Amino acid sequence: MAGSSTKSRLHFASLILLALGWVAILGCRTRSESPAEKQAEKTAERPRIALIMKSLANEFFSTMAEGAKRHQAEHSGQYELIVNGIKDEVDVTRQVSLVEEMVAQEVNAIVIAPADSKILVPVLKRAQAAGIVVVNIDNKLDSEVLAKNDTRVPFVGPDNRAGARKVGEYLARQLKKGDKVAILEGLRTAFNGQQRRLGFEDAMKGAGMEIVASQSAEWEMAKANAIASAMLSEHPDLKALLCSNDSMALGAVAAVKTAGRAGAVAVVGFDNISAVQTAVKDGSIAATADQHGDKLAVFGIEYALKIIQEKSSPEDKETPVDLITAETFKEASKAPSK
Amino acid sequence: MPFTESQVVLRLRGIRKSYAAPVLRDVDLDIAAGQVHALIGANGAGKSTLSRIISGLASPDAGTMVLSGEAYAPRNKAGAESRGVHIVQQELNLVPTLSVAENLFLNRLPHRCGVLRRRELRDRACGALAMVGLAGTVDPDTPVSQLGVGHQQLVEIAAALSHDCRVLILDEPTAALTDPQIDLLFEHLRRLRAAGVAILYISHRMDELRRIVDHATILRDGDVVCTAPMNHLTAEEIVRQLTGKEIQRESHHCARQRGEIALQVDRLSRDGVLHDVSFEVREGEIFGIAGLVGSGRTELLRAIFGADVADRGGVHLGGAAEGVRFREPRHAVKAGLAMIPEDRRQHGLLMPQPVLSNVTLGNLRRFASWWGRIRARRERDSAQHFCRAMDVHYQGLDQRADQLSGGNQQKVVIARWLLRDSRVYLFDEPTRGIDVSAKATVYHLLNELAGQGKAVVFVSSEMRELLEICDRIGVMSAGRMTAVFRRGEWNQEKILHAALSGYSR
Amino acid sequence: MSAPREHRESSEPMRASRGGGYRRVAGEYAGLVIVLIAMVCLFGMSSRHFIRVQTFATIANQIPALTIIAVGMTFVLVIAGIDLSVGSVMALSASLLGMAMVDWGWPVWPAAAFAVLVGLCCGLANGFVSVWFSMPSFIVTLGMLEIARGCSYLSTNSETKYIGEAIEGIGAPLAGIGLSPAFFIAVGIVIAGQFLLSRTVFGRQVIAIGTNEQAVRLSGINPVPGKIIVFAMAGLLAGLGGVFQASRLSSADPNAGIGLELAAIASVVIGGTSLMGGRGSVISSFLGVWIIAVLQTGLAQVGATEPTKRVITGIVIVVAVIVDAYRQRLGNWRRPLRS
Ligand SMILES: Nc1ncnc2c1ncn2[C@@H]1O[C@H](COP(=O)(O)OP(=O)(O)OP(=O)(O)O)[C@@H](O)[C@H]1O
Ligand SMILES: [Mg+2]
Repeated sequence: MAGSSTKSRLHFASLILLALGWVAILGCRTRSESPAEKQAEKTAERPRIALIMKSLANEFFSTMAEGAKRHQAEHSGQYELIVNGIKDEVDVTRQVSLVEEMVAQEVNAIVIAPADSKILVPVLKRAQAAGIVVVNIDNKLDSEVLAKNDTRVPFVGPDNRAGARKVGEYLARQLKKGDKVAILEGLRTAFNGQQRRLGFEDAMKGAGMEIVASQSAEWEMAKANAIASAMLSEHPDLKALLCSNDSMALGAVAAVKTAGRAGAVAVVGFDNISAVQTAVKDGSIAATADQHGDKLAVFGIEYALKIIQEKSSPEDKETPVDLITAETFKEASKAPSK
Repeated sequence: MPFTESQVVLRLRGIRKSYAAPVLRDVDLDIAAGQVHALIGANGAGKSTLSRIISGLASPDAGTMVLSGEAYAPRNKAGAESRGVHIVQQELNLVPTLSVAENLFLNRLPHRCGVLRRRELRDRACGALAMVGLAGTVDPDTPVSQLGVGHQQLVEIAAALSHDCRVLILDEPTAALTDPQIDLLFEHLRRLRAAGVAILYISHRMDELRRIVDHATILRDGDVVCTAPMNHLTAEEIVRQLTGKEIQRESHHCARQRGEIALQVDRLSRDGVLHDVSFEVREGEIFGIAGLVGSGRTELLRAIFGADVADRGGVHLGGAAEGVRFREPRHAVKAGLAMIPEDRRQHGLLMPQPVLSNVTLGNLRRFASWWGRIRARRERDSAQHFCRAMDVHYQGLDQRADQLSGGNQQKVVIARWLLRDSRVYLFDEPTRGIDVSAKATVYHLLNELAGQGKAVVFVSSEMRELLEICDRIGVMSAGRMTAVFRRGEWNQEKILHAALSGYSR
Repeated sequence: MSAPREHRESSEPMRASRGGGYRRVAGEYAGLVIVLIAMVCLFGMSSRHFIRVQTFATIANQIPALTIIAVGMTFVLVIAGIDLSVGSVMALSASLLGMAMVDWGWPVWPAAAFAVLVGLCCGLANGFVSVWFSMPSFIVTLGMLEIARGCSYLSTNSETKYIGEAIEGIGAPLAGIGLSPAFFIAVGIVIAGQFLLSRTVFGRQVIAIGTNEQAVRLSGINPVPGKIIVFAMAGLLAGLGGVFQASRLSSADPNAGIGLELAAIASVVIGGTSLMGGRGSVISSFLGVWIIAVLQTGLAQVGATEPTKRVITGIVIVVAVIVDAYRQRLGNWRRPLRS
């Protein structure tokens, strides 16, 4: 190497140190969000709970995480919370690493929304073996793989299949028997995606619709837009697009508009993220399902705390899923409680 | 100091510069208007470093500069140019993908609202090229990468000449030029001198210095050892001053036993470049190739060596009846050929790599175990041995090649091929940019190789050295070999005539 | 490559090269090691649970795939190429590994060998196409990125294949040591890679090709095999990375390794390997991998928000590249420092 390398390595080092100094500041800031922490740290060892999310760039999950943080701020005496996410839906490896890192940190409980319903199982089993309480939220772990591994992980969350069926049935009421519909699936590897697809299919088959296409847009708006456009031109008589989440529904709505078929093609979504609310109100999205995303993580955390305290044996716990349509908002505005 | 105050344009005092080791130590220099001032010194003496400091390309560690009575401390090349100081660097600095015209006016392209005015650019480029005698030969729109080294050098000179300058620095401008081009350049320099421009001129060619230089300063290892009017200095004096020891002039030609034909080139042709070139070289013979820049000398060597693939004809090695056309240099190397390329930076050296890897490139197998581990000790010993043989001035085998002075880079390339034992050596301008004593080393080396029964092909633009050491000289002109002379049959006129004859067809 | 400074050498015959070795080596890696230690200290200060053996063992067991891919990438960057396909190739070979074990019922070793072979083939394809059609490796490997990803979806039907315990042996920590066999294999490959690059004919030729291919050709060396071997190696290591990955996840994930090429390039560049070719060090790349991994883990333990993580990771990468460019310019032969 050049003779100059030592000197510039020093530069390098100092620059990185600067960057890291900044990390420390930011790090402290995110931690100091819980004001009671300092004193609490000295007092009792509160249980530490790691919330491991999927992509926090996805509004659904960031809402969920926000809800959890708010809950922690209100109950800061009861537990400590570490929230982590991955950079996109498919970065499963990173999620496995996160679990390992949390195990290394010896947290008391891990509440996880798995990015993959199979891959996470062995590492969660290891976490349990290390004495950590594990609670599964959002995306249910694959029961077959769980069985193969001889483990049980309690699932706290909505029944996606039932929720999707609700949405599908609402949609079916607005269509005629034999209408052509298409499904935009989530990531095929994800259990909740599979469940929602099945729910949609149940409803459509039950009402006698014809499913002409079913493709995965991997939860993403841009991909959904491209795929929906292709479906619309492929099937000029398509009547509805059932999307397994709201991001994809937004992508599909845009595709419908671009194709000039607004009003002729109905779109439904799932999740009820805030971005779709106007779309639901104005009818461009016919329906979506609210699984109370902001509470999902909180349900998981509360359940984890309960298990820690009671040392109870873990059972699954179902949380509610509600159908959201334009009417829901009208009712809500009449009764301003919600 | 030899000049009166009023004449001095540029005054340097106590200029000091060190890289890993000191390169310039307290250099004082006065350059007068209307004079050609030579900077003479061995390879690595610090000439280029000094000229880079004057032209803003490097900053001195200590010392002051005064230009026309005002303090002068250029922060970069543009700063120097705004004060009228221009440089033609030793190494080419053109943008290969841009055209000749664009390179000439790179920092002052004529434009209207940012849109290039191509007509005007072209006209101005033609004007600039005319100054160096390229007006008819080189189209301003050709990309620079398509020009040979000589023409590129002329383009650089044209770029500098097209400015109004107060001080013009030429760092070995003639290294790649042929005599007629040098004549033209000198004519220009004389005109500039008459117009009161101060010219700092760096060259290793003694005869040139005599022709154009008024005053000379000699550097040795970064010290000024002598500064005097040129006509007060004899050639012997200069050589003694710059080497610090007496060198007796020896004749470089010695009679040798000539053996079998080692290399026979049979009607080698490459469309548009080479036309039916035939000649042969015997073992123990030095075959010189003369010709103008662009006459196809480099192309000839490249075609023989397989660096470019010839279209017709072939070469016979060691008297083989079968002619071959090498498609890749490695086939030629395997057959016992070696080539020292003309453009050492593009084709010879791994610039940012240490001297060590440069010397042993292509020879590593010799130092390696059967499975490819390099035996470091052996490699270094051997590299060091051959660098010594070539008298390379360096700070260690780990110094990067791009930090060597120009002449020493050339020596490193030669050292690489010495390390490998070949039967036929093709030298393309091996003495370009190396100092007198190093030249003597190269001549000595050529002789030694020939003495060992190797065949040597030696391309040079310096007629004198060809006349001095070759056994026979072939003359290239417009891609043809128009004449071959034996020692004793030749003289400068005959060769020059042959060199021009191809163009009149 | 070699010593930063040895001035006495030309006067005093050949002693310095070995004797100064330790100090030289230390000097070469000191910068990166200091950065690592500083990062560890900083994270240690912000999280009570960071500095403990288990954290580092966890990291060590996470990085084998990235490490060996970074080794391959170092070679590719040294010849002034780039390989964007490593992430996809890793996913493809993991997928085929999964298919072989789950659907065809192969035992683990033949299946692993098959996966590595798949990687090798992808790498060879990259090498041949880019050399024979003299296409920029950027384009060729970009194509391979899509092809391999597509094939991995096709072969698994876009679903994760759960393999189970059979494959876990390589990636699971050894009892008592806490480190996985994969980690030791990766370290072995790093050492071998460094040796190959700095001490063998092949390595020297690779460096030379990356510096000035013309000069290499004119000195009678055929640069073609070297280039192809480098790409093949990158592919092979990506294939092995796929095995490590599958073993760590006990599953074959067709989505694995998305964006991994960027992480690999980032760690190699942090290690000081030049994107312009001709300069690089495998050990430094390994340190680069550690820096990225520690950064990632540390940020996760501190609980930094996702945007913060990305901003900081980005800053660290960019700063490293700036330093790389700056260092290049220090020794640049075209433009002296000041201009
Ligand atoms: N960037 C650099 N880093 C380290 N050393 C350098 C650098 N540039 C030049 N040198 C050293 O400075 C010395 C003088 O170099 P310089 O190029 O000025 O010589 P020169 O007199 O022009 O020689 P030549 O006639 O061969 O061109 C050489 O020993 C060279 O190795
Ligand atoms: Mg010089």
